[in-house]
Amino acid sequence: MIIVDVLTGSVRAGTSVLYASLGELIAERAGIVNLGTEGSMVAGALGAFAGTAITGNAWLGALFGGICGSAIALIHAFLVISRNANQLASGLAVMFFGVGITAFFGRSLVTEQIKGLEPIHIPLLSDIPWIGRILFYHDGLTYVSYLVVPLLWFVIFKTKWGVMLRATGEKDEVVFAYGVNPKLVKYAAVLAGGFLAGLGGAQLSIAFTNTWVENMTMGRGIIAVALVIFSAWNPVRAMYGAYLYGGAQSLQLVVQQQGIAISPYFLLMTPYVLTLVALYWVGKNQRSMMPEGLSKVFSGAGRS
Amino acid sequence: MKIAHSLNRELLSTLFAGRTKSGWWNNLGPLLIPLLLFTIFLLVVGVNPLEAYVIMFQSVTMDFYGIGEVFVKATPFILTALAAALPAKAGLINVGGEGQLAFGALFTAWVALFYLSSAPGWIGIPLILLAGALGGAVWACITAFLKVRGNMNETITSLLLNYVAIFFLGYVTHGALKDPASFNWPFSPPMPDQLRLVPFLDTRVTVGILISLAAAVFVWYLVDRTRLGYRIKVIGGNAEAARQAGIPVKRMHFWVLIGAGSLAGLAGAIELAGVEERLRETTGMGYGYLGFLASWMAWNHPLRLIGTAFVIGFITVTGSSLEINTGLPSSSVKILMAFVLFSILALGRRKSA
Repeated sequence: MIIVDVLTGSVRAGTSVLYASLGELIAERAGIVNLGTEGSMVAGALGAFAGTAITGNAWLGALFGGICGSAIALIHAFLVISRNANQLASGLAVMFFGVGITAFFGRSLVTEQIKGLEPIHIPLLSDIPWIGRILFYHDGLTYVSYLVVPLLWFVIFKTKWGVMLRATGEKDEVVFAYGVNPKLVKYAAVLAGGFLAGLGGAQLSIAFTNTWVENMTMGRGIIAVALVIFSAWNPVRAMYGAYLYGGAQSLQLVVQQQGIAISPYFLLMTPYVLTLVALYWVGKNQRSMMPEGLSKVFSGAGRS
Repeated sequence: MKIAHSLNRELLSTLFAGRTKSGWWNNLGPLLIPLLLFTIFLLVVGVNPLEAYVIMFQSVTMDFYGIGEVFVKATPFILTALAAALPAKAGLINVGGEGQLAFGALFTAWVALFYLSSAPGWIGIPLILLAGALGGAVWACITAFLKVRGNMNETITSLLLNYVAIFFLGYVTHGALKDPASFNWPFSPPMPDQLRLVPFLDTRVTVGILISLAAAVFVWYLVDRTRLGYRIKVIGGNAEAARQAGIPVKRMHFWVLIGAGSLAGLAGAIELAGVEERLRETTGMGYGYLGFLASWMAWNHPLRLIGTAFVIGFITVTGSSLEINTGLPSSSVKILMAFVLFSILALGRRKSA
C-alpha cells in the first residue's frame, strides 16, 4: 500500500520538525521569535549523536541533545531579552553559530557508528489495520511526541502557567503588574523551546538516520518557524503542519522507489515550496491570531 | 561636485564617529570582544592563538595575490551586504541574498552561454551584468510578492527560498546547463573568453570591485540624498505613519526588495564572469549570509558596510590558510563570525544610521 507507506514516512520524517515547531511555539507564545531553532536543532542532533556514542544509551543521548538545544537557545535569550537585540537578526546569528560549531566539533564523529533508538512495535495498537502501521511502528521519541502535543495544548490553554505564558506574549506589562517578572517567563519559554528543538535534532540523528552529517538539519528549523505561523500558535495544528512537511519528504522516497522520472532536485525542493504554499494559503486572515508581542517583531516595528 | 563634497563629509564623519566620550568602546568593542572569545575558543581546542593570528595576518599581507584575494572576496560581500542594507532602511530584513546571488549567476551563465557566446566583450559584458541583476530581481520578486500580497514575513520566505534556489542550481548544473565535455561533473561549460572580466596584475581582482564600490555609493546617495530615499526611511521608521502620510508602503516594499535582489544578482554575475568561470552548485555559497553579516556589522550603513565587507573578506581568506597551517577546519571561521555578530547585537546600536 503506497498510501500507508507515505503516511508512515510522514510521521517518521515529520517528528523532528514537530518537536522543533512545538519548541518554537512555546517561545513565540512568550513573544520571542527564535530563528535560532535551526541552530538548536543541529546542536541537538550532534549532542544526541555524541551522547549516544559515548554512553551507549540512546535515551541519555537524546537528553544530552535537548540540553545542547537549550544551551544554544540561551544565547538567543540573552541577546534579545537581556540586551534587547533585534530578534530576527539574533536568531540568524545563533543559527550560523550552531551550524559552525557543530561542523567543528562533529568532524571526528562523521564516520562513527551508533546503536540508536530502535523502532518499537506497540502491542495491540500496532495490530490495528492501517492506523497501527502508520502510527505505532516508530522509535520512542516519536511516541513521546504524541504525548507532548496534548500535554502542551493543556498547559498553554488550561493552566495558570499557560495564562502567564500567553499574557507575556500579548502584553508583558500585565504580567509585570501581576507580580511576575516577564523576562523570567521569556527566558523559561526560550530555553524550553530550545530543549524541544534539540530533541527534534536528536530524533533526526539517533532515530531517523542514525548518522551525523555536517548541517544535517538542512533548514528544518526554519521550516518549523514557518509552520508555527501556519499552526496559528496551536500545538495540535502544529502537528498537522509537521506531518504535512513529513509527507512531502516521504513522498520523495516513494517516488524514487517507484522509478518515476522526476529530477531528485525538484523532489528536494518540494517540502520547502509546500511550506511556502501552506503559509500563503492560511496567511491572509491570520494576523488576528498572532500574539501581539510578535506582530511587532514581524512588522519590523520591533527593531532595536 | 556637490555630491562629492557631501560624500566626503559623510566618509569623514563615518571614520571619526567614535570621538565622543564612550565612542571608542562602541567602535572597537565589536572587534575586541569577538577576538577575545575566539582566543578562548582557540585555547580550548588546543591551538596557540598567537601563532594562529600571525598565520592569518601573514596570509593576506605577504604578497599581491594575498592582498588581492581580500578584494576578490569583498566584491560580492559589498553587493550582498547592500542587498540587506537597502531593505533594512525600509524596515525589512532580507536574508535572501544567498538565493538571489545564485539566480543572478544562473541567469548570467544562461545568457552568456546560449545567446552571447560570440558577442564582443564591450556589448556582452554589460549585458551579462544586466542579466545577473535581472536574475536576482526575479528571485526576489517571489519574496516581494509574498510580502505584499500574502502578508508573509520576508525573513522567513527569503530564507526558505534560499534552499529552493540552491536545489534549482543543482538541477540545472546536472541538466540543462551541464558541460557535455565535463565527464559528468556537475558544472556548466566555461564562460566565453571575451565575456570574462580581466584581472589586474598578478591577482584575481577585476573591475568588479569598482562596480561594487559604485553600487555602494549609489545606494548611499539614493537613501540619504533623494526624496525616494527619504520616503524609504520614513517607512522604516514607522510604516503606519508613512501610510497615514500617503506613502504607498506596499509598493515601496515591493520595489525595495526587487532592488535588493538585483544587487545580489549582480554579485552573482561578477562572481561568475570574474572568479568562478563555470556555474556550479556551490557558486557563491555562503556569500549571501556573509553579506548580511557585513551589513549588520555596519548598522546597515551603505558606505560603512564597505569596511565591514573587507573585514569579513579578510577573515574568509585567512580561514583557508588557517586550515592548511594549523589543521583548524575552515568552519572555525564561521564561529569567529558568529562571535562578531553576537558582540554587535549585545552592545546595541549607537544611533540609527
